[in-house]
Amino acid sequence: MNKVKQLLLGKEVDKGLLFRILMYLLLIDVAFIYLKPIIYMITTMIKSKQDLLDPAVIWVPMKLYAGHLIDALGMLDYWKGFTISVTVASLSALFQIISCAVAGYAFARLEFPFKKFWFAALLFTFIMPPQVTILPSILMFKEFGWINTYWPLIIPTLFGHGLKGALFVLIFRQFFSTLPKEMEEAARMDGAGALRIFFKVMLPISRSAIIVVFLFSFVWTWNDSYFPSMYMFGASDVPLSTSLSKLNAKLAMEAQEGGLRAFLEPIKMAASFFIILPLLVLYAFTQRWFVEGIERTGLVE
Amino acid sequence: MLARMKKTLQQNRWYPLNRATKTRRPIWRNTATLRKIEGSLFIAPWIFGFIAFVAFPLVYSLYMSFNLVKITVTGVHSSWVGIQYYREILFSDGGLLYDDLFPFLREALVIIPIILVFSLMIAILLNMKFYGRGLFRVIFFLPVIFSSGQIIDEFMEQGEGTLTIISDLKVDTFLQQYLPEMWLNPVQNVIGSFVLVLWYSGVQILIFLAGRQTISGSVYEAARIDGADPWSIFWKITLPGMAPFIFLNMIYTIVDLFTYPSNPIIGKVTTDNYGLSSALAWIYFMIVLLFIGIVLFIYSRINHKLATQR
Repeated sequence: MNKVKQLLLGKEVDKGLLFRILMYLLLIDVAFIYLKPIIYMITTMIKSKQDLLDPAVIWVPMKLYAGHLIDALGMLDYWKGFTISVTVASLSALFQIISCAVAGYAFARLEFPFKKFWFAALLFTFIMPPQVTILPSILMFKEFGWINTYWPLIIPTLFGHGLKGALFVLIFRQFFSTLPKEMEEAARMDGAGALRIFFKVMLPISRSAIIVVFLFSFVWTWNDSYFPSMYMFGASDVPLSTSLSKLNAKLAMEAQEGGLRAFLEPIKMAASFFIILPLLVLYAFTQRWFVEGIERTGLVE
Repeated sequence: MLARMKKTLQQNRWYPLNRATKTRRPIWRNTATLRKIEGSLFIAPWIFGFIAFVAFPLVYSLYMSFNLVKITVTGVHSSWVGIQYYREILFSDGGLLYDDLFPFLREALVIIPIILVFSLMIAILLNMKFYGRGLFRVIFFLPVIFSSGQIIDEFMEQGEGTLTIISDLKVDTFLQQYLPEMWLNPVQNVIGSFVLVLWYSGVQILIFLAGRQTISGSVYEAARIDGADPWSIFWKITLPGMAPFIFLNMIYTIVDLFTYPSNPIIGKVTTDNYGLSSALAWIYFMIVLLFIGIVLFIYSRINHKLATQR
């Protein structure tokens, strides 16, 4: 009797069988909730006409059908959008890594006048909804002749701003302030300046923070449709995130003109799939470092 | 050896030996200013960016909110209208703001605790050692990749937002009986898109997971030796230790929720009427600040209480 009890409840609660079962149930449920849309997306986009109309077919299609995939690729103008998205997202990620690390290092370790004030400004930037400054920004970029180009998306990232730039500065600041001070002091004794210390000592050891910021920056820029739609409303070459809404509008129009309605969903799903596919691939390759990095950075204030 | 090195390092910190003259000079004579110049150089790009991309547009948007702004081929023309737009939004034409704001605020009040509790729970589970932990982590960080995009909206449109179990259990009729009317709709909305709420928790799970690692294992060890049961370990050690992260997550969730582009109020900041839109954006920003202010206040209270308890 006692043995059974121990097996079920364990010496400590989190070792017991009962707890384990409950935990796995919970984890699997939540994992299913997270995965279901992706499974749905993939199964829907490869359904053929018959499968879509057949109520008996819910998850597994009778046969594979690639027509919707090809349609979606064509309607998205995929390769053009893909090139633009990759360029914009990787440039902003790269710039944000460098500029936000520089700013974060300054906030963590260096002295400069009115430091407290500028730190308050950083926090302010973090909590300010971007919509407060969007209209003047549009006017400003128009003045520069940057509307309908990628510059409004990229240039601010050079200075540690841009999409969620403040958050990245905070992440780097946090990371640098947890490093032991002795490291820099040793370099200082050898006569190195802040610039050399930063590029030769600090940046090389901040791999985990860099990966976290890179992935967040890349993914968020890739997905963001708000800024492109505001700054590039008249452009014909847009990132993938915006071309999805264009595709939606196109499909809605076609649907109104008659027919096609049953095939809207698979095309939309195929388009969504192609848009997130590069992110999934990226995540598949980086997730190991990403998960580790999150733990080491202490993505923490 | 190391301790001695450290000691000499500290001793010489303020009066380093100048090798050439064999004298000690106070470091602040020249180095402190040098450090400040170095620091200023490092922060200069960020400050420039702040002025160009935050401060200037901010001031300009405040100015626009008091003006009738017309954009023509020749440039931007503005004529002063004073607080007319603010009055319009806040008092005369309430529909513009309040119709969306109040339901949204109520929803936010329901969503924020759900996200916090859910992500805390998941983070604690993911922190345990069990078979398949790596796989679960990979899956649970997926929302970080999706939740910012239009893809989510797409899923919601396909009805992926609801859990069938909720309609199976007839939660709706239950709610209708017990909730006051004002809260019924928001709660129904949140439950209707419950999956969405879970999808929003990606970054929060990460923050909690990172936070959980900051509580050292020896504290748990000690508690276990003292014979504390897991329930009280959670309430006495984990939760107080996580307090700063709960607070951080609360701020993050509020900011995220209130700046999400498909948020109803934000959708109204359009380019049709620059003055009115700017005023709306400012009012909205003040509400966000107020919200965060309240959280700060509550947090400082809790922190105070925790500090006195110890």
